[in-house]
Amino acid sequence: MSYFRITLIRSAIGLPRRSTDVLKALGLKKRMATVFHSVSPSVAGQIMKVKELVHVEECQYRLTKQEVHLERKPDPGYYIEKSCAEQRGELGGQ
Amino acid sequence: MFKSTQALFGGLLWKTPWRLSSPQKARQRKRLRSVDRVVDTVSAALERNGQTSKAVSRWFAEMPREEEMLPKDKYTLFDKKEKSYRKSIHKLPKWTRVSQRVNPPGF
Repeated sequence: MSYFRITLIRSAIGLPRRSTDVLKALGLKKRMATVFHSVSPSVAGQIMKVKELVHVEECQYRLTKQEVHLERKPDPGYYIEKSCAEQRGELGGQ
Repeated sequence: MFKSTQALFGGLLWKTPWRLSSPQKARQRKRLRSVDRVVDTVSAALERNGQTSKAVSRWFAEMPREEEMLPKDKYTLFDKKEKSYRKSIHKLPKWTRVSQRVNPPGF
């Protein structure tokens, strides 16, 4: 089972009502929004209606909104060697 | 401050250049390729699932790819009111978001 990962790159402002409605049906409400839909002819037809506005990839898993957001999160620049709880445990053992 | 220019005084002065600049043409090619890529992805995904879509097969049957298109078709479109029957594609409303690839044969 694979999925289409559809991202809205260009807005449908000023385009025929039909394009806006197709985007709404796909669940794309604003630019750079990402949605996942299973691969099927009906979804393919919807993508073809708005092919100039979206970026499409095929993927094996459906990601949640949080996971999509985390993909864009920059590297914090540090890593955690040890957590506080662990350290407390070590001290308590001594 | 009001500055009397030809564009502001004369009602019928078009400030849109009649031809595309080379970066505009480059971006047009980029957009054409991005649409090709979307259609390719959709068709490959459907094929892997053993499905077909009428819209996709029709696109492949009727529309040329970016590399197959003539420069004439990439940057201009048919217009019966023009002397040469062609006008620059940026005269087409919403030209950066619509697919305009084929023109009447012979023009």
